[in-house]
Amino acid sequence: MARDPILKVRGLDVSFRTNDGPVHAVKGIDLDVFAGEAVAIVGESGSGKSQTTMALMGLLASNGEARGSALYRDQELLGLSERQLNKVRGKKITMIFQEPMTSLDPLYKIGRQLCEPLVHHGALSWRKSRARAIELLELVGIPDPKRRIDAYPHELSGGQRQRVMIAMALANDPDILIADEPTTALDVTIQQQILELLASLQKRLGMAIVFITHDLNIVRRFADRVYVMRLGEVVEHGEAGTLFADPRHDYTKMLLAAEPTGTKLPPAPDAPVLLEGRDVEVVFGTGGGGWFSGAPHQLRAVDGISIALRRGQTIGIVGESGSGKSTLGRALLRLLPGEGTIRFEGQDISKADRRHMLPFRRELQLVFQDPFGSLSPRMTVGQVITEGLLVHEPSLSTKARDARASEALKEVGLDPAMRNRYPHEFSGGQRQRIAIARAIILKPKIVVLDEPTSALDRSVQKQIVELLRDLQKEHDLSYLFISHDLSVVRAMADYVVVMKQGRIVEEGATEAIFEAPREAYTRALMAAAVNDTRFR
Amino acid sequence: MTDAPIDLAKTGSEKPIVGRSLWKDALLRLRRNKAAVASACVLILVALAGIFGPMISPHPYDRVYPQYVRAPASLEAYPREEAIIPAFERAMARTRLDIGEIDVEGSVVRVSISSEDPLDPRIVRYIDRSDLFSNARIEDLAADERTGVLAADVHRVRFPFGTDANGRDLLARIFIGIRVSLAIGVLASFMALVLGVTYGATAGYLGGRVDNVMMRIVDILYSLPFIFFVILLVVFFGRSFVLIFIAIGLTEWLDMARIVRGQTLTIKRQEYVEAAQALGVSSWGILRRHVIPNTLGPVIVFVTLLVPKAILLESLLSFLGLGVQEPLTSLGMLISDGASNMRGASWLLIYPAVTLTAILFALNFLGDGLRDALDPKDR
Repeated sequence: MARDPILKVRGLDVSFRTNDGPVHAVKGIDLDVFAGEAVAIVGESGSGKSQTTMALMGLLASNGEARGSALYRDQELLGLSERQLNKVRGKKITMIFQEPMTSLDPLYKIGRQLCEPLVHHGALSWRKSRARAIELLELVGIPDPKRRIDAYPHELSGGQRQRVMIAMALANDPDILIADEPTTALDVTIQQQILELLASLQKRLGMAIVFITHDLNIVRRFADRVYVMRLGEVVEHGEAGTLFADPRHDYTKMLLAAEPTGTKLPPAPDAPVLLEGRDVEVVFGTGGGGWFSGAPHQLRAVDGISIALRRGQTIGIVGESGSGKSTLGRALLRLLPGEGTIRFEGQDISKADRRHMLPFRRELQLVFQDPFGSLSPRMTVGQVITEGLLVHEPSLSTKARDARASEALKEVGLDPAMRNRYPHEFSGGQRQRIAIARAIILKPKIVVLDEPTSALDRSVQKQIVELLRDLQKEHDLSYLFISHDLSVVRAMADYVVVMKQGRIVEEGATEAIFEAPREAYTRALMAAAVNDTRFR
Repeated sequence: MTDAPIDLAKTGSEKPIVGRSLWKDALLRLRRNKAAVASACVLILVALAGIFGPMISPHPYDRVYPQYVRAPASLEAYPREEAIIPAFERAMARTRLDIGEIDVEGSVVRVSISSEDPLDPRIVRYIDRSDLFSNARIEDLAADERTGVLAADVHRVRFPFGTDANGRDLLARIFIGIRVSLAIGVLASFMALVLGVTYGATAGYLGGRVDNVMMRIVDILYSLPFIFFVILLVVFFGRSFVLIFIAIGLTEWLDMARIVRGQTLTIKRQEYVEAAQALGVSSWGILRRHVIPNTLGPVIVFVTLLVPKAILLESLLSFLGLGVQEPLTSLGMLISDGASNMRGASWLLIYPAVTLTAILFALNFLGDGLRDALDPKDR
């Protein structure tokens, strides 16, 4: 390539001072971005991909330090003063973040937030910048921008907020747009739209996009060139096409092969029904109903769903956020009050109170999505996983509990010597294993898995999926697998239920649903999740 | 569980690795904060002074020295040399002896004496008659018994911080004042901690109607005027040490209950609480194992700021004359006394005020350092 890169990074080094001595997050990497191209930086969490761009933007945490050189059109970015850096940052190099819920200030109308960079960098008046803001909103596909410009962030959906963030980033015609996992927090169908928008904007405006992601599927469809990062180093880089066709580094090969594979056979047809829900309904009152607030608002999160889980079966519950799939899972475990009949092994538990529910609790377990939030930070791992034993087998001695903890940890593939450590000392995948150990230590019959793999890296996802399948075989478990990730559902479940707005849209054997989806909604979900065509 | 013995044998050989808890993490961060460490040292020193000071102090805190009323702070011992010599001369004059130069050495006064007749040992009685001197004796008597050295002990006392208007040693009184003030601060805060944490966590965790009723009770208690409340208590039960910390504790737990309730409301939505519910853990178990330990970070910070608040409240009560009873004292009472004697005896105000300020400064710095150390966002 004869052209000169507009961003040229050489020997970038980022380190953080911590309690345990310095942590080297980025170890001397080189990176080039040419005008108008899409560069993807791929890596799992902890690979330093985000810190690389944070260092370029001067956004490192206060205990971080960047060394090396980063030239933007022959101007050194590292070591610039805040004031000099602001001439480039937010104008020529802009950034969008993962979390659209928190990147907008809830106190200001989006118009005002859009105008801010225009007035600041573009030296427009507030009046002129408003016209430009409407133009920008139109550009990013916000419907009715003239009215929407006076909306507050909470009045917009997640996808719309991400569009506003993109509009803000585009405000001053940047040369480089850095997108840090811009779609991870969004539903698959919205993800699809945002990526399409980014691709078309790139083509129309001719800017370069640096795309940071862990999702190779997005990279395959989006990027011209790819940098694969691992533990702070670039292990491989090259043209996207060649890299995917012929990966040279083992790590890249591992990432490419990390899609969960295999399928699950349905249980024997005469397997008994363990858990049965009939016309389950969950209604949330969302305010109102008081003296002054008029009629109560009600939200039907789960609206008359019937489901039957057999021994050894895995039912995958699929749907976008807000479809009521997690609520259904909790209602079936009687963790949320609901209407309808719920039977466990033929006994009606839908009216059981706390005390009568207790013997069933050990049979019905739950694993959560967020391995960071589901483990109490002040308890050791041993205490966390043996808590259920305190309730259900109070006669066990401390020693016996400890032995059970070791056993459970071994079963989920962790070193039992770790049981006196605290959750924050473990990685996301290890924590999810701990959460699984907590569920299976009681030898339950049913485990509700609420998005157990969504917060994890692809390669870790695969391991967790395999672990869950092994445990199922060993203990004859039944799973209710809630997920929005269709590839994981395909590998885990033998029966799929598609939910939308609290109702079942479609259900059937996994293969049938995946091969021949009947409903438009199911087809849209599939199209968004498994698609290899390139954007643009 | 048939395979338990095998597992036990195995785990016995594997030494469990002890993890670093969040508390240890916070302690490490705190240790790097110089201001907080210095404050902790100051607090330890002050606390030691409060505990052991009254025991090792040469003057009991309630001992009155009528001859040394409002003696200014000084490192020199009382009575001073200038006062001893004339008094000694006056006492010697009655002996009608020829005396040399009077020499004061520590707490012994010496003078060489001579006379034409042999010295009568009974002359020492003249000296002993004085209030100032005791144990007068004749030393180095020459062979002819006509010359010698007369020595007498003087009772000399030091008041490094001076004495108050009643002639009591201010240092000893500051020691006892630290003891009383710190005890009230710590006990009242402890009371507020126990009451507030239990009440707030219960209200927050149970939620709904229970929460509503419990928090309305707190609101009603909030609206009671504090001073009025204390005056009522004092009128009913009389002034006492216990009453004061109960009064302060009873008003301060309200803030604590609100803080803990707010914390509990957020913690109760955490997935680990839901996980515990799914395991069938009882409400009390969840409160004890999950909710309360996780509220403790902000609570500890609040307590370190509550202790100075309680000390200040006690000072206020003492200043108003509602505090502890004489001769027991507290820093607030000492300051109040000092303020009324400010013109003539500034040391009576300065030393207690400096002590109280040092304590409050240290507690606030420590609270600040703890907040930084416990703040998980800084990780």
